[in-house]
Amino acid sequence: MKAAIFIVGDCVISPLGMGSTLNFEKLLAGETAVAPLDDTTLADHRIHAARIADHQWVGKIQNASKYTRLETLFILAIQNLIDTYGIPVDRRTLVILSTTKGNVSLLHNPAARFPESRVYLSEMAHEIQHYFGFENQPITISNACISGALALSVARQLLQSSDAYEHVLVVGGDEISKFIVSGFEAFQALSDGRCRPFDRDRNGLNLGEAVAAAYVTKNPTDDAVCIRAAGSFNDANHISGPSRTGEGLYRSIREAMRLAGEPALDFISAHGTATVYNDEMEAIALHRCGLSAIPLHSLKAYYGHTLGASGLLETILGIHSLRAGQLIPSLGFQHPGTSKPLNVITQPIARPMSRFLKTASGFGGCNIALIFEKV
Amino acid sequence: MDASPSYIQSYCTIRDRSIVLNGTIFLKMDIATPLADFLKSAYRQLDIDYPKFHKMDSLCKAIFIATELMARHSGPYASDTALIFSNRSSSYLSDNKHATGIFDTENQTASPATFVYTLPNIALGEISIRHQLHSENVFFIFDRYLPEFLVPYTEAALDDKQIEHAIGGWTEISEHTCDLLLYHIGKLGSIPHTVAKLKRIYNEHE
Repeated sequence: MKAAIFIVGDCVISPLGMGSTLNFEKLLAGETAVAPLDDTTLADHRIHAARIADHQWVGKIQNASKYTRLETLFILAIQNLIDTYGIPVDRRTLVILSTTKGNVSLLHNPAARFPESRVYLSEMAHEIQHYFGFENQPITISNACISGALALSVARQLLQSSDAYEHVLVVGGDEISKFIVSGFEAFQALSDGRCRPFDRDRNGLNLGEAVAAAYVTKNPTDDAVCIRAAGSFNDANHISGPSRTGEGLYRSIREAMRLAGEPALDFISAHGTATVYNDEMEAIALHRCGLSAIPLHSLKAYYGHTLGASGLLETILGIHSLRAGQLIPSLGFQHPGTSKPLNVITQPIARPMSRFLKTASGFGGCNIALIFEKV
Repeated sequence: MDASPSYIQSYCTIRDRSIVLNGTIFLKMDIATPLADFLKSAYRQLDIDYPKFHKMDSLCKAIFIATELMARHSGPYASDTALIFSNRSSSYLSDNKHATGIFDTENQTASPATFVYTLPNIALGEISIRHQLHSENVFFIFDRYLPEFLVPYTEAALDDKQIEHAIGGWTEISEHTCDLLLYHIGKLGSIPHTVAKLKRIYNEHE
């Protein structure tokens, strides 16, 4: 029997503010971080995105000028976990970083004030390690849009298979850059307004930025949440389009449900990017799993798609939802818009809850499903 | 103690301008050959018809060639073969190409065909399609090949998921250089899947 692994602490830095409780309260109040953005360093026209305002972090770390904007956000989140939970900075502590593109905003950017070597994720990890003086080299995961959720699964497996670590800090983050905006635009994947996950009139995603961090350990606290099970499977179908049958996501959910003993779910925190094909694929996969009736939300209309942070960010808010016994509505949904019906949450309903399913899917055909349960 | 419950079924290294499968040279070209030409020659020598190969970036091409060669020796791969890869530069070659296009003052361009390759795990998607692998993928970024992490991680992944096979290793590519070691892991065999053995294999490529 493998040891149970728990999330016992968290930190969120988003455009809605710093701290996961604050973020949760703002979601229940219906606040969204997605707004029109006119910034010629990102695009030559207006986009709708969720960007962290610089005043939220400027001047809050030591030797701030030595660190890039994204490194600063990573450092702030890790510092917050260390301070809040009294986590030792020694060989028992491991940091897992999750990001799709790291400091890529520096690449060939005439406005960049850091050497281009900082584009390498291993350099970024090195800077973060040495800011705190961690003995262990951070483990960096870059696996498209499932990176954040996958990092939780990797943390769980590392803690279960080895006694080398007691404390694992899983930290995910990405920032909005011209690099990312232009790429998603080339795919015609950006919405012309605030995104509408699972809605009939959805027409693309919003990009967002956030850093989300989870403190993962074998030692539960009173309000800990257990990472019960994980499943992750590739579609083996297409590198940039979701599978029409939802095959990889279907297998991922089935595996997680099987490993968890087919438990009753209180809600599903879906990926729900609000692109036509992604949301349709998710509806099909959930239908195949017999989970269409479970209350479901996507948080993308609050935060945009925060890429390497998204799986973590949405898991942390799901944990708050579980603890508070309060379902988070899926902002932006009005009319059913998938070939298989879904039970999209439209009201902040209060009810006692025990567990939820988190899913994510990404380029390269990757998918993941995780089940979280109250202790 | 470096005991291991798994064994290396086959392994492939690509370095400088040579490709070695299980210690035997598959292709060796002049060191001055451009990397793109070298990878194209390797594809031709595989003698397969897979037009998607030509759309891939060099990271995907090198990984595609190595997994194709290993499959000839120890394949076909089981569909639940886990993919546990790592490198230093992530998808730098395609990142560089995309960033060059978007900051070009004369003619700003962004192409979906380039952007899709700006994630390292796209290569895992490519080989999953080719070999029909429905399995867990993870792409780690380290500053060097780190069997000290990858070997125990891979063993734990096999144990955790109750599966028998994995493909993993180090796949570092830059504009002119290639430093790749991939291996196919299974439960039976004679070459132990250990840190010491993999360090030896990584260092012995001629």
